[in-house]
Amino acid sequence: MGGLIAKKLLTLIPVLLAVSLLTYLLLSLLPGDPALLVLGGGAASAEAIAAVRADLGLDQPLPVRYLAWLGDAVQGDLGMSYITRQEVTGAILERLPVTLELMGVSLVLALVVAVPLGVFSAYRSGGRFDRTVTGATFGLLALPNFIFALILIAAFSVGLGLFPATGWSRLSDGLGDNLRAVFLPALALSVSNIAVFTRLLRTDMIATLQEDHVLLARAKGLPTSRILFRHALRPSSFSLLTVAGLQVGTLLSGTVIIETIFALPGVGRLLFDAINSRDLLMVQGVVLLLAVTFVVVNFVVDVLYTFLDPRIRSGAARARA
Amino acid sequence: MTYRTNRRRRTGAAVRVGAALAALALATSACSGGDDPSGSGDGAEAVDPGANPEPQGEPQQGGSLTVALEGETNGWQPGISAPSAPGFNVMYSIYDPLVIGTGEGSFEPYLAESFEPNEDFTAWTFTLREGVTFHDGSALTADVVAQNVAVLKEPTSNLAGVLSEVASVAAVDPLTVRYDLARPNAAFPALLTTTAGMPFSMENFSALGPEEANAEPVGTGPFVFESWVRDDRLTVTANESYWGTDLGLGPYLDEIVFRPIPDEDSRLQSMLSGDVDAFQTLRESIVGQAQDAAADGEIALHTFLGNNGGTTILNTLAAPLDDVRVRQALAHAADREQLIEVLGGTGITEPRTQFFTEDSPYYSEAVAEAYPAYDPERATELLQEYIDDPERSDGKAAGEPVTVQYNCQPDPSLTELAQAYQAFWSNIGVEVAVNSVDQATHIGNAVGSPASDPAFAGDYLANCWRTSAEGDPFNILKNEFGPVPLQPLNFTNYTSETLDEQLAVLATTTDEEARRAAVEEIGLELAENVPVLWVSSTVAAFGVDPAVQNLSDWQLPGGADGVGLGLFQGGSTMWGQVWLAE
Repeated sequence: MGGLIAKKLLTLIPVLLAVSLLTYLLLSLLPGDPALLVLGGGAASAEAIAAVRADLGLDQPLPVRYLAWLGDAVQGDLGMSYITRQEVTGAILERLPVTLELMGVSLVLALVVAVPLGVFSAYRSGGRFDRTVTGATFGLLALPNFIFALILIAAFSVGLGLFPATGWSRLSDGLGDNLRAVFLPALALSVSNIAVFTRLLRTDMIATLQEDHVLLARAKGLPTSRILFRHALRPSSFSLLTVAGLQVGTLLSGTVIIETIFALPGVGRLLFDAINSRDLLMVQGVVLLLAVTFVVVNFVVDVLYTFLDPRIRSGAARARA
Repeated sequence: MTYRTNRRRRTGAAVRVGAALAALALATSACSGGDDPSGSGDGAEAVDPGANPEPQGEPQQGGSLTVALEGETNGWQPGISAPSAPGFNVMYSIYDPLVIGTGEGSFEPYLAESFEPNEDFTAWTFTLREGVTFHDGSALTADVVAQNVAVLKEPTSNLAGVLSEVASVAAVDPLTVRYDLARPNAAFPALLTTTAGMPFSMENFSALGPEEANAEPVGTGPFVFESWVRDDRLTVTANESYWGTDLGLGPYLDEIVFRPIPDEDSRLQSMLSGDVDAFQTLRESIVGQAQDAAADGEIALHTFLGNNGGTTILNTLAAPLDDVRVRQALAHAADREQLIEVLGGTGITEPRTQFFTEDSPYYSEAVAEAYPAYDPERATELLQEYIDDPERSDGKAAGEPVTVQYNCQPDPSLTELAQAYQAFWSNIGVEVAVNSVDQATHIGNAVGSPASDPAFAGDYLANCWRTSAEGDPFNILKNEFGPVPLQPLNFTNYTSETLDEQLAVLATTTDEEARRAAVEEIGLELAENVPVLWVSSTVAAFGVDPAVQNLSDWQLPGGADGVGLGLFQGGSTMWGQVWLAE
């Protein structure tokens, strides 16, 4: 088990190197000179541009710059933004809690809604409930999350006044305010996941419900809810778990739009602003963070399998023996 | 304040669900890029700057406001900070400008007590007010102003270009500072109305260094910087020892929270849901919706139709646009009324022909008549002349079609604008490729590189653009049409002897008659040679809770009228003079 984890961790290193090199190259290939942006987009002499380029290290060749950046990055220093003059590491850490909470709540919301929907549509597959849920999930899949976000704001903020339309409240401002601030953005972010998870779980569950151990449980006269949630849900949830892990990537990209619409000070918004202002080091830092998160989450999902499915554990044990 | 508003707005919530659904229809249409061409329904009316809500009653002390702005700013230290309209709302709260523009278009002292030029406008002497202190308690002196300028002229400062004409600054005595210029500028004080003329505490700057000072600004303004969480909120509180209090400059509010909300629709919704007490916008379709809300009495709407306008810049050094016939053809081919409709500005704003609008003393009827009218037939003729010319500048054989690349940022309404130009120009036989270009690249392409020949020739043909002309005509036009290799802000690369002569007039006289004549000459030259294609003026707007007073009617220390929301193009005002009615 420990060996498995160590091996997985080792594969992380080339992935991160490749990601960082690629973003560095891509960003450097973009036309335009960051020095001009620093100087306010124009009113600058050639001497001033040269001075800023030297100040930012842009007069060095690309490989030298990349290696210098990499050397610092390994020690946790992702450099200083040209545009905002903030430490990139500090800026990301300051915003990470907002994005993590948004993604976490969104994932929980998606599962809380999708699991019962998926289970019951499978239980009565082909019935009226199943058909309604199927129709609704396809509808949700077709709806972009930013449209859904505006619907939520119009209905729940402007119409009913239940939640703030935009803005963030820290946990330190009180749990109630914090949850009110995160609810609508998280819901808007979860819309496609609700649909995907429901569809997926329904399909797997229908297959599981045909199996012998479920038949046995029915024959023993166990209550339906116990059969569904104790006997059938666990073996039906592997694809759900895999996809939930993979969806972290989608969630991360979704935060860029959702944090901008709801004006949340998270990492997605930081990336959006950084791209718009050609803030190269900031973009580089955030992309690296996204890559790390994606790889780590999928790694955690792999490890979780072994807990959910005894067959994998015993398979690993046999391989060692 | 916010609580009270919320409670009032949230009574009868059920009744409002219908309104929410209507708002939803608008929100989704705006989002999908399908801006309702009429603005937002029948309520849209042409913006009349004179019709802004007047302040009700006497100024009241106290209260707190949350103000939603278009976007975040990269910081607040002059020289690093690159504020646009949203950022200047914060800047003018924390700092005071030495000079300020008036409603009549002149420039008057603000934080300075007075200023005067020498005979040939190569030196300007400013007298400071006595007893002014920064928020950290340090005194505003001539020495501090001189040290400020030294910081702002560092090569890495983004104000080095603006201040390049300042050869040196000297503190003559503790309250007198003299700017010596490298060449005459009769309009020099107008340069000190924004960041270049906002004194900052040298004690704070020296103690924290530029990066930290950028996040913790200390000025002399009506509000003291309190805290800033980037992309979330910036809080300022009343300056208890403000020099302007006795002169009627406030501050009246106890606290202001500025919140950047980049999405246009959710910013408006935040206002309508009572999350914020004021919101700013430049989007014409949102102004239309705000007009409807104002008609229902939900909000009070302040607007400003300034000289800031939507344009297309043409690179006059790049073939085929180096030929005036092609530029004139493009101008004749496009119907500005329809372009405004595409932008959702019909009924809100009018077609433009020149740098200054009807409200400006520099507006010229003659220029308005000289600017190419919508005339597709004339456009086709001009284009055909070029196409048939064996010596045509783009090197193609006679008879080959003309090709133009039109670049614009990926904003829904701007994309539609680009497509509209594409349709108009295709109509006369021009092959148009529309490119979507991110903001940073867009500006970079227009500026060009110091390595090109000539330097800063720019790497584009036609760019959608926003041309701002708040400020003195000399300071604007010398940038727009200065010598190409020396003036990166000459985006169109258009120069001429006439322009140089008239710019020299503007540089050396304060006589208003002579200056207006010079601006008119320049306007006529530009209307004939069309380096810039005009669309319309951009409306700047602030929707506020009806209790919020005096956004448009703030005054100068001497009692002269200010420029309302036109303090900086795109909607900035003096929050120090805003108050909350009981």
